[in-house]
Formats: sequence, C-alpha cells, structure tokens
Amino acid sequence: MATQNPSLSSLEADVLVIGGGSTGAGVARDAALRGFSTILVERRDLADGTTGRFHGLLHSGGRYAVKDPSAARECIAENRILRVTAADCVEDTGGLFVSTPWDDPEYGDQFLEGCRATGVPAEEIPVAEALRREPRVNPGIRRAFLVPDAALDPWKLVWGCARSAEEHGARILPYHRVLDLEVDGERVVGAHVRSERGGEEFRIHATVVINAAGAWAGQIAELAHCTVNVRAGMGLMIAMNHRLVHMCVNRCKRPADGDILLPLRTACVIGTTDVFVPDPDQTEIRQDDIDLLLDEGEKLVPGFRQARALHAWAGVRPLFEDTAKVAETRDVTRSHALLDHSSREGVAGFLTITGGKTTTFRLMAEAAVDAACEQLGGLRPCTTAQVPLAGSESHTLYQISHRLAAREPVPQSEEIICECELITRSGLEDTIKQRDTTSLDDIRRLLRLAMGPCQGGFCIYRAAGILHQGGQVDQAGANQTLLDFLEERWKGVHPILHGDQLRQARLDDWIFQGILDVEHLPV
Amino acid sequence: MSYDTVVVGAGLAGLTAALRLSERGQRVLVVARGVGATHLAPATVDVLGYLGDTQVASPAASVPVLISSSPNHPYAHVPAEQLETSLEWFCTKTAALGYAGNLDENLLLPTALGVPKPSALAPRSMSGGDLRAGGRFVFVGLKGFKDFHPTLIADNLNHARLPNPIEARALELVPPSSRRGDLSGRVIAGGFDTEDLIDWLAGALEDRVDPDERIGVPAVLGLRSGDATWQELEKRLQRKVFEVATLPPSVPGIRLSDVLSSALRTAGARIVLGVRAVGARAKGGRIEAVEVVNATGTVSYPVSSVVLASGGFASGGLELDSFGATRETVFGLPLIGLPNTDRVRFAPHYFDAQPLATAGVATDDQLRPVDASGSPVYENLHAAGAILGGATPWKEKSGTGTSVATGYAAAEAILTPAPTPVSEAVR
Repeated sequence: MATQNPSLSSLEADVLVIGGGSTGAGVARDAALRGFSTILVERRDLADGTTGRFHGLLHSGGRYAVKDPSAARECIAENRILRVTAADCVEDTGGLFVSTPWDDPEYGDQFLEGCRATGVPAEEIPVAEALRREPRVNPGIRRAFLVPDAALDPWKLVWGCARSAEEHGARILPYHRVLDLEVDGERVVGAHVRSERGGEEFRIHATVVINAAGAWAGQIAELAHCTVNVRAGMGLMIAMNHRLVHMCVNRCKRPADGDILLPLRTACVIGTTDVFVPDPDQTEIRQDDIDLLLDEGEKLVPGFRQARALHAWAGVRPLFEDTAKVAETRDVTRSHALLDHSSREGVAGFLTITGGKTTTFRLMAEAAVDAACEQLGGLRPCTTAQVPLAGSESHTLYQISHRLAAREPVPQSEEIICECELITRSGLEDTIKQRDTTSLDDIRRLLRLAMGPCQGGFCIYRAAGILHQGGQVDQAGANQTLLDFLEERWKGVHPILHGDQLRQARLDDWIFQGILDVEHLPV
Repeated sequence: MSYDTVVVGAGLAGLTAALRLSERGQRVLVVARGVGATHLAPATVDVLGYLGDTQVASPAASVPVLISSSPNHPYAHVPAEQLETSLEWFCTKTAALGYAGNLDENLLLPTALGVPKPSALAPRSMSGGDLRAGGRFVFVGLKGFKDFHPTLIADNLNHARLPNPIEARALELVPPSSRRGDLSGRVIAGGFDTEDLIDWLAGALEDRVDPDERIGVPAVLGLRSGDATWQELEKRLQRKVFEVATLPPSVPGIRLSDVLSSALRTAGARIVLGVRAVGARAKGGRIEAVEVVNATGTVSYPVSSVVLASGGFASGGLELDSFGATRETVFGLPLIGLPNTDRVRFAPHYFDAQPLATAGVATDDQLRPVDASGSPVYENLHAAGAILGGATPWKEKSGTGTSVATGYAAAEAILTPAPTPVSEAVR
C-alpha cells in the first residue's frame, strides 16, 4: 500500500480526487480503470467520514419507492450491479418492510404501487411467514413485504475500490489533508497537501481535480472560491451486540427516524435520525436521539431496551441544495449532484460530486469521471458496472460464516486474537504489514478488530503486543496507540452505556486499569 | 435446612465472610450466580496502590489519609487493627499459596504490560517479581500464547520509573506440540497439572538465563499444582522465578478461589452456584428469609443474618437500565454515588472521573447498609466487597483489599454485635 508520504516535492496526475469515502474511492477506481493516472487524497483514514458511519444498508429502493421514484430506480439498478461487482462486501440478507401497530397498513398499497412503478421487486407475504423468518419482530405487525435489501460492509467496499484503483496504477494517500487548491488564472491546476502522519507538505498537479469530499465538499470548493451548498444531516446509529434480526427490517411508512434495523456482520444496527448540523465535524450525540432510537427499536423488536447496545455513532449525510433554504433536511433530494465549476463559476479543471448515498456511489463516480473525460481529451467508456472490485473477483457474496468456515478445517491451528470477530494472529499480522500502519484504530476498520461485544477488552492488549513484537512500533508507540484506542472507543461507548454493556465496560475497566494498569504506562 | 447466615456472592468478599463465620461455628450457605470475580483478577491483595495520582508506598500510612478525604470509603468502617487482623487471618487461611508482603510496604509487581503495580500481598509464586530492589529480569513468553507479551513488558519496564535501576529482557520459548494452538492460560495451566511440562520448561530455561536474572513467566504454572510447580522450578533452576498475572481467566485467581472454597466446605458450609438471590422476606426491620431462584423455582431460606457480597456493576450486583435508573439487584437497597441529574451522562474522556464510579451501598460501622438518614435498612443485613459505594477500586488498586477487609469485618459484626446504644434501646 502506498500509504507513506511521497518523498517527492510534487506529483503529477491526470485526475486528483479529494475525499476517501465511497464516492472518492469509487471515482479514483473508475478513473484508473479508464486509464487515467490518478491520485486520491483523504485527510483521515479511508471510509472514516460518512461512509464508515452509515447504517450499512444496500438499498433495494423500497425506502424511496413512494417519495423519490428516481432515487428508487437508481438504487435497484446499483443494488443489482454491486451484488456482482462488490460481492465480497454484500451479504444477501433480504429486506422486510413491516406495518407495525403504529403504522397505517394502507400505506402498504402505496408502497407496493411505488415499487411496481420503479421496478423494485416487492412481494407481500403473510404475517405468519414474516414472523417465522424473523421471530423477534413485533408479533403485532399487520402486513409484511419482501424486497431485495442487503447489508453492505462500507470498509470492505472502500478498500476494495482503493486496492482495485492501485492495481490500475492509482496512488491512494490516506491521512493527507488538502491545505489549498492551486488556481492558475481561471483553472484549478492542483493542490497543496500535507501528510497528517509525517508532516511533509507537497504539491499535486492534475489536469482535473474532482472534489468528492461529501459533507465537506463546500469547504474544499471554497479553496477555489467556488460555492457548493452542502448541508450536513447528522444521523445517529446504534449497534446491538448480536443479530436481533437476520434481514434488513424497515417500517412500512414514509421514511422517518429510527425505522431501519439491519444485521451487519455479527451485530445489528438501528438507524437513524436526521438533524442539521452547521459543522460536519461537530456531531454531538444527544440523549433524546438515543431514547428515540431505543423506543423505535422497541416497536420493531419488543425487548429492544433490554438487549445489549454496544456502540453509538453519528454520521453526516451530504445533502446538496442549490436553491433556497429548506427547513427539514429530509426533504432535500437524496439524488446526487455533479457540479462543473467551469459552467457555474468559470473555474475550469474542477468538478464537485456530492449528495447521493453509498448505494449509488458507483453511479456517482461514473458521472463524475464522464464529466472529467470531457476535460481530458474525450470520453473513455466506464467499466465499473462489469469489472469486479479487488476481493470480489469470484463473485461470491459474503456470508456471516466466512471466517468460521476458513478456520474450521484446522480449528486449533493458531491463536484467535479477537474472539468476537474471529480474527486470527496471521490475519492480524498480514494486515499490519499490508497496511503498514501503527494505529490500532486503522486495523479496527480493516478487520473489525474490537467491534464485537467486548469492544476490545481482550484483543487490544494482544494486538498492541503483536504490533510491538513485530517491530512496527517501539514501546512508547505501542502504549500510545493502546491509550488512543481506549479513548477513541469510549466516544462510541459512553453515550449508550447501560445494562449488560455497562457490566462489560466495568470488566474492561478492571482489565485495563486494575490488571494491566494502563494509566501508569510510560509514554 | 436452616442456616445462621446466607452469604450472597462467591467472590473474595463472600468467601472471606463465609469462611470466617463457618470457622466460628455458624451454619453458612453461600448462594451465587457464578464463581465470582476472583476467577478474573490477579490473586494479589491490593489494599491501596494510589491516592489520586500518587503511588502509595505504605498502605498502613495511606489508608487513614484516604479515609479522611473519602469519608464514604469502605475502609472508613474497618478499624485499622481489624484491617491488619483480616490480612493476617487471610494469610493463615491461604497458607497453601504462601502469601508474602504486609501492610507497611507495598510490593511493586509488573503487570502484563510491564507497569509496576503496587500490591500489599501476593502469593509467593508471584511476589518474587517485586521490582523495588532493582536488578536483572528476563520475561519468558510461550510462542502461541496470546495473553502474554514479554517484549513489551521488558521494554516498558526498562522505561519505568523505579526506586532502583533494573534491566529487563524478553525470551520466547516454543512449547511442546501438545501445548500449541489457540490456548488460554487456564488450558496451559491444566497441562502443568497433568503433564510433565516442568521438565520441558526447566530444560528450556537452564542455559538461556544468567545466574543473577530473575525469571518472569505468565501465571500459568498449574491450577492445582501451581505453587508446587513454582517451587520445583526455583529449585531446579536455582534462580528466582515469578508468575505475572495476565488477562482473565486468571490462573492464580482460580487457585485462590479454590483454596478458599475448599476451606469453606471443610468448615461445613454449603456453596450453591448458578442461583440468584432475588429478595428478602422481612419483618420488623429484620430479614427473616432470603428468596433464591434456582432451576426449580423460588426457595426461601430462613436466616439470622445475611451478608450481601454480590459485587458492583461488573458482577451484576448493581445495574443501570436504559432509562437511566440504577438499582441494587438483590434487595433494592438505597445507593450512594449516583449522579444528581435524573439521567446519567458519562464523561467524554475515558480516563475522566466517571459518574457511577463510586456508586454502591453506604453502611454503618457494622457494615449494615443504611438509608439516607443513616439508619440500617435491615438490622441483620451486612454488605461487603464491591457492592460498597465510595471507592473506585480499579483506579485506587484497592479492590481485593476491600473485599478481604470488609468480608472479614462483616463476619465479625455478625459474630460480635455491637452493644445497642442506650437511646435506641429506650426507644
């Protein structure tokens, strides 16, 4: 991986992509596949902004079938493509829309009609059949509909795009912040960037700069004196410690807060809320929103409040608005926006792609690179609807049992470092080497290390020891990344801490402070 | 069958109270949901390791300082002489493990991260790791054992602030094939009980350790045979050997739990695990019977006295629900250390002072849980261990010390009730 700083004082590329979420990674991959020399910069880790903080639903389009038919059509088309080209990131859970006692059962007719009109396959099934498939769902539901929703692993998706882009010559530079855009006359010609890990500053010259910074796109555009109105719509998610449901379960009503509960790997996630925040980096979790999700969860799955909540986090949707102010962010379109700043503000060589949703990231990338082609000497065809992502070449859909299946032939072969997520020692060591990172938090995102019920209580000591023994860090570095990890983890743990998870957290206090005494580590 | 005392909880506090009562002739029943946190923690007796940010050299000197600054601390209800008596008694009862140390000076034992941690007492298989005198140390890892990282331990100790210079290094051994794979410390310890692993370990170390080096090994030297294995290793190697506690399950903790449980059974007490005490039948301010749910239903045990040693949040003695309410889970006792707000908000940084850290029951000097006015909730209910409020034991390093001291003190309060104050007798 080219995660180190380039030693050169300047780099050249056809396309510079700013932003390492699903959109940016998708754009970089698309451009690289079309043969353009490409560089991607991301101020933090890949998928550490909106993409890594969304609920993980690969939309069937059912959610938008009534309210936003064009979004629904896009979703079902991309859903079908990603099941093939990003198979390793997709778990085919299926989706269920249910009318709970709080929902108008007649909305189901509108829903079916919307799905029919937009081409989203939807089928009403008897309530008894729905409850047979999902025994924890509220037995009071009155109608149930099957749709092809699925669960999408955002980190695998973005890293799959990044690796695929690299295989086609792109350079992917996480932890590189854009300090300024270089404008020559009426043209953006590159960017001035700084490595957030090493501190070096250098320039990247590019024929086209594509701003894929999502909710931060306005900040990037300003550097070229352009205006992009993106509102940050904060959404809260809560991960529960096991799969209360095996399908993506949606309330059959107009989209609202807390109406989706979906399985994601070993956990399940309830989402979400929608609150406008002035600064996408300021996402404070409010107790009211937590309570709202827990109450809505209770309506979908009785006993939800007694189940174990692991972690809460907020992501920010980039909601593009080109016109007057809108009071409710949910009314802003979920379709994406592609802005060519030469026609808008007379600044050439600069495009912004924002809005949209992770399900349609490939389509957004295609649109952005099509537009870039015009400035790069003519259209080259897009192949991302056919070529599989790195890791998905076999077109095998991800299954929850994959890690277990890989281990089963020789169960005692080696140590399991993270029992919650079945991460082996060699798997961890390979990832440390491949990623060339010294941050336990980076490893967490790649492997889901410490994302299970104990939230790192056992595996983080082990991983720090392995990181140190492998020579990646000295003792001070190992201690620091362990302490940083505990601090970072607490951010997601403390807003939702109650019940059995507080019990777990107190055991973790005993482990880290009582047994290991991390508070008195020499750093 | 009727009992004099029912003890709720089989951790260190519960076992201590039960053993003290049994050996003084009481019929004792211990009921618990599981084996208790003793199985998770190092078997050291940590009386007091830190006062705020300051490392404590002498618990005897610092406990009074702690009490004056934290009047609700559990130690405030244990007189200094009784604290000392309780530890002496504990050492006698656990003679098989040979506890070393005293109240006047803390040992400084390395953790599995290589941090010097203060403890008042440690089993002799661990106490040789005392870092205070300085010197040369070698930490021995077992390839494939994920819960012990000797290189990090040695490197951290070489950077630690210690009274005397030390020099630490790491060594990794490859265990015999039967002891490889995904193994817990408990499984490796089982190997020392049943196989000839001492020969292998002594042989592997003989030529690789200098005569003046002390040898630190993970605490896996056997469950039943731990102390004997340690003695044998020291004899064969002619060097100081010591165990270092690591992640749960804790092998030395299991040994301690086993020693106390078997002493308790020998003394005639009954231990029932896998059941849940759910409340009391009370009359006139006294508990007449404890209600216990087992596999067949609810059983009511008539009693003269009760010791509540159900632990804190970690053990299920306390619970915070999703609406923000905290409760004591067995008798619904009043609690101290709750936030003033109607909703708990944990502090945003992990190492900040956290709400609920000191939550628990408050007691009088007989360790009887009291209400807001300071009166005992039940005349014959006493509490011990982590259910007591007013302490942050994982930060202070005072958890096991509190359990031994208050478990013992609760038993003494039952055995020798304080004379009823005149005013109360008149009333």
